[in-house]
Amino acid sequence: MGVYSWWKQPSWMVGSQKRRMTPNLPWLLSALMLLHLSVQASSLKRGAIQSLKCTTSNMQVWDCTWTEPPGFSSGTVKEVCVRDRLRSCHRLETTNIKVAALSPGDHEVTVNYLNGFQSNFTLNEKDVSFIPDAPEVLSLSADFTTSTLHLKWTDKGSAFPYPLKATWEVKVLRHPRMETIKLASFNTTLNGRDTVHQWSWTSDLPLECAPHSVGIRRYINHHRFSGTKKWSAWSFLKNISWTPDSETNVFPQDKVILAGSDITFCCVSPTKVLSGQIGKTFCPLIHLYGENVAIRVQNISVSENSGTNVVFTTEDNVYGTVVFAGYPPDVPQKLNCETHDFKEIICSWNPGRPTGLVGPRNTDYILSESISGKSVVLKRFETLTNESCRLTFQMLPDQEVYNFTLTGHNPLGQAESVIFINVTERVAPHVPVSLKVKDINSTVVTLSWHLPGNFATINLLCQVEICKANSEQEVRSATIKGAEDSSYLLAVDRLNPYTVYTFRVRCSTETFWKWSRWSNEKRHLTSEATPLRGPDTWREWSSDGKNLIIYWKPLPISEANGKILSYNVSCSSNEETQSLSEILDPQHRAEMQLDKNNYIISVVAKNSAGPSPPSKIASMEIPNDDVIVEQAVGMGKRIFLTWHPDPNMTCDYVIKWCNSSRSEPCLMDWIKVPSNSTEAVIESDQFQPGVRYNFYLYGCTHQGYQLLRSIIGYIEELAPIVAPNFTVEDTSADSILVKWEDIPVEELRGFLRGYLFYFQKGERDTPKTRSFETGHSDIKLKNITDISQKTLRIADLQGKTSYHLVLRAYTHGGLGPEKSMFVVTKENSVGLIIAILIPVAVAVIVGVVTSILCYRKREWIKETFYPDIPNPENCKALQFQKSLCEGSSALKTLEMNPCTPNNVEVLESRSIVPKIEDTEIISPVAERPAESSEPDPENHVVVSYCPPIIEEEIANPTADEAGGTSQVVYIDVQSMYQPQAKPEEEQDSDPAVAAGYKPQMRLPINCAVEDTAAEDEADKAAGYRPQANVNTWNLVSPDSPRSTDSNSEIVSFGSPCSINSRQFLIPPKDDDSPKSNGGGWSFTNFFQNKPND
Amino acid sequence: MWTLLCSVPAPLCLLSLLPPLSPAAPISPSEPISQAYSLALYMQKNTSTLLQTYLQYQGSPFSDPGFSAPELQLSSLPPAAVSFKIWHAMDDAERLRQAQGAFLALTQHLQLVGDDQSDLNPGTPILLAQLGAARLRAQGLLGNMAAIMTALGLSIPPEEDTLGLVPFGASAFERKCRGYIVTREYGHWTDRAVRDLALLKAKYPA
Repeated sequence: MGVYSWWKQPSWMVGSQKRRMTPNLPWLLSALMLLHLSVQASSLKRGAIQSLKCTTSNMQVWDCTWTEPPGFSSGTVKEVCVRDRLRSCHRLETTNIKVAALSPGDHEVTVNYLNGFQSNFTLNEKDVSFIPDAPEVLSLSADFTTSTLHLKWTDKGSAFPYPLKATWEVKVLRHPRMETIKLASFNTTLNGRDTVHQWSWTSDLPLECAPHSVGIRRYINHHRFSGTKKWSAWSFLKNISWTPDSETNVFPQDKVILAGSDITFCCVSPTKVLSGQIGKTFCPLIHLYGENVAIRVQNISVSENSGTNVVFTTEDNVYGTVVFAGYPPDVPQKLNCETHDFKEIICSWNPGRPTGLVGPRNTDYILSESISGKSVVLKRFETLTNESCRLTFQMLPDQEVYNFTLTGHNPLGQAESVIFINVTERVAPHVPVSLKVKDINSTVVTLSWHLPGNFATINLLCQVEICKANSEQEVRSATIKGAEDSSYLLAVDRLNPYTVYTFRVRCSTETFWKWSRWSNEKRHLTSEATPLRGPDTWREWSSDGKNLIIYWKPLPISEANGKILSYNVSCSSNEETQSLSEILDPQHRAEMQLDKNNYIISVVAKNSAGPSPPSKIASMEIPNDDVIVEQAVGMGKRIFLTWHPDPNMTCDYVIKWCNSSRSEPCLMDWIKVPSNSTEAVIESDQFQPGVRYNFYLYGCTHQGYQLLRSIIGYIEELAPIVAPNFTVEDTSADSILVKWEDIPVEELRGFLRGYLFYFQKGERDTPKTRSFETGHSDIKLKNITDISQKTLRIADLQGKTSYHLVLRAYTHGGLGPEKSMFVVTKENSVGLIIAILIPVAVAVIVGVVTSILCYRKREWIKETFYPDIPNPENCKALQFQKSLCEGSSALKTLEMNPCTPNNVEVLESRSIVPKIEDTEIISPVAERPAESSEPDPENHVVVSYCPPIIEEEIANPTADEAGGTSQVVYIDVQSMYQPQAKPEEEQDSDPAVAAGYKPQMRLPINCAVEDTAAEDEADKAAGYRPQANVNTWNLVSPDSPRSTDSNSEIVSFGSPCSINSRQFLIPPKDDDSPKSNGGGWSFTNFFQNKPND
Repeated sequence: MWTLLCSVPAPLCLLSLLPPLSPAAPISPSEPISQAYSLALYMQKNTSTLLQTYLQYQGSPFSDPGFSAPELQLSSLPPAAVSFKIWHAMDDAERLRQAQGAFLALTQHLQLVGDDQSDLNPGTPILLAQLGAARLRAQGLLGNMAAIMTALGLSIPPEEDTLGLVPFGASAFERKCRGYIVTREYGHWTDRAVRDLALLKAKYPA
């Protein structure tokens, strides 16, 4: 931009130096200076831009400054020349110069120092900075209730004669930290004159709680200026602070805010605040200026009615405020405007979402009508959650179309709904009142009611609801010319006489919008009319046939047309007429004495409006011989009858019925059926199940009634309640004839379908025959379906046997009770005879044959049963025994030694149970003594025993093991045969005998060593004697072949041992023993036992 | 926030200026004493209910269980708390006058609280009804006390506006606190009146 150059001339400075220096020295100095300046020039050239700085604040004057070159003190006088169109120079002492704005392009600026030092600059607009003046704040104010700052300043636009765009920046600082809490920028246009601008800012922190400062600066965008444009300096800061003017310490107070938003509460306190809370929630404290604190609440929830409390607590006090968080009004929903009476329009709506605000913060509504420009206001105070609101707008005369706007507003906002209506189409009349009914005649009435409202310009559409007891309601509509607050009349026809009706009315308009509510009901009884027809009539002749009883039925209400007061009855024939008049209503029967002529009976019912047409019936019936009696069964309380159409029957059919058990004249009721019918369902509450009814179908011709059919029937069949009474007519050895009687109709209770007859063998009172169990094989059942059958013969029975007979009757209703009887069949004599004769004959034949056989085989028999008894004299037994003893021991069994009783003193204690070998062989008789000895085990029992020889081989091995004494089989002979005990006792007296007990087994050995002569002694010494006394023996064994030789002690056969022990003393397989021995043993044994029995 | 000063009520200051007991006092003050005592007993049964109902509708922390802020006082309402020694040293006339002054202030304050609450809690007929009932009972007790004072030959101090200009423009929080103090003091004063009247009743048996 500028270049400093060193000029040799003309420079007074150089000249002055020249004067002071020597001629040589200047050269040196010049050289040094040149060197220095060249260095400096190059350095100046590099820093030329910094050296001359030009700014402008208004585009008209440039303010340029530069720095003195080195070596020049400030205040040095210099001449500054600026070359524009003209060259102007200024003599200055300062280093800045104000020049008028130069035209575009480079301009030379020369600074000439008096010493000749010269600096050249090139000045261009591009090098000039445009820095506007700092804005001037006119005022800063604060609205503490809203925490809003208002800043006012002037833009000094007059400084620029042409429009310019300006950008402003405002900063808000909060004490004490002076941090910038808000920096805002915005644009304006400078339009050539001074304009005051305003900026407002709402602080989230209430302004009361901390001082705030505000500064502003600007930036002007001068598009024609090619230099640098810069922000102005900040204006002076303006401060705002709150001076306490009340006792309020917490801010904001009673603020209404949108639920869900964030809010800061602060507390101005002279002392330390301990806590801050909103509702129940404690919040962290934000420390502000001094002891002032704040809490920040985010997403605040809807307050309760009395607001949300914010409380700050210090050591000695509490401070608080209330915040009301809610919502702006919802758009009014379901806005509807209508009129009830053409006088006022009622608009109703639903407020929608609750705002959560009540009292003075609640939503107010304004209903304004744009055509008329009128409006009404609804101020709500109480909380209305979701209730419908309504406003009443007075209708304007001659205005039918209304354009309503409903606006709801509260501290948080407003919302509106609009509705456009033609009021004539929005009429919902009030409920009709004062409904009255007036009779015209018995079928027509007039209704009148009052309807408030001015309906003069429209037609009303009204509905009458007509309600009759036990029938559907009927609604009739009518269009009525409207009137103003008038009563309306409507005739209602087609009603029934003497009927109670309930009327009610509602109205709308022809351009239907809504019905009014129904009016109150009005009950009305229409007036009477003459009865529609005569009563339903029937007649019966009395049982003696002299009197005719005339019956009639009361007329149904629908046909009576009023209250029937009396009846007139008249009977007329060709000759005479009898009449009974004024038979009062409850009586529906009259009796007249008539001969057998045919009379026409006429019955007339009368009410207050007059008599009915007569109903007529002939007194006589047309005979019919073809009537047969049929059966029918009904269902429930009904019975269904059908018949074939009969073209002769022109008037109608009559079915009458009666209980069959009643006496004549039998009439319970009757019905009439049209002549074209072929069926009828007869239904009566009087019908009872199990009761027989007679039904008669009559056809009506012009001559009179004729009986067509007679039916007996039951509504429902039941089981008989009694059993048929039956008797036994005849009884034989194999059959019974049973006869029974009919059951009376009353007890049958249905049509008899048959009988069930059961019979089985059985005695009276045996449980088996008490009842017949189903499926019992012994029971025989006969089902008698022929109900005319009254007898039954039961055949194929056994003679002289008791039979249980049961008879039951049954209907379709079930089985009746049973009647039972016991019958014994007669004895069968032939069979008895045969039964006796055959066994006798068989016995005789057997006897004869046996006799013959016995006779012819007598020798064999004798041989077999009674062989010759061998002579003991010829017995070679001793020899034989001797040789035998010498032989093998196996042949010992042939020694038929007499069983010599020995006395044994049993010394074992009771616990040692005698071992009894081969219990099968020991007979019960033999056992018993052993058992009987047990009760007195302590005593020394002296027993006679007979060692069974057969056991010898078996007993011996065991004897070796357990000792000889325990191997003995004891047989208490003594106890069994007392007489036999005596010889033993006698022997006991002999000491020698008593001392020596020897087993029987030893006897044969003794026999072997001693001679036969000594045998008797030896026997005596051993103390053994035959168990059976010989005398006794003889007595008891007369048949024994040895009985004759009673003294022989070695006789084996029939030995006393065998008598008592019943042991096989002789093994049956012994080849050597004679056969007869076995048989003889058997028989002896048999006969021996017999006397004992 | 208002911190309230327990200034000496005016009637107390005027006590020394009161004329001596009239010798022409009615014969039997026992009947109005008995009536006043019965009414005070009846009021006593409802005071805690009134306070609880009131707090219940003011939101937390007022409605928190066990809420109590004894430091809150109203300068326009004399506190019922008094040291037993002072109370015992009072004569009947002084006790009656203090109670009479307090219940006069209470009736006015209860009216004010009722108005505040119909603004803050417009949809709470229970609270408004209880406040109204309490005010009527306080007025009834005032009447009874006047009868006693007449029977005892004491002069009845004239009714004065205890509220003055203070209450209007109070913030919602102030109004809530004010209501709390009034309902609380209503209970305390009722308790004190029961004791005052019991003493009188013993002194003037039926």
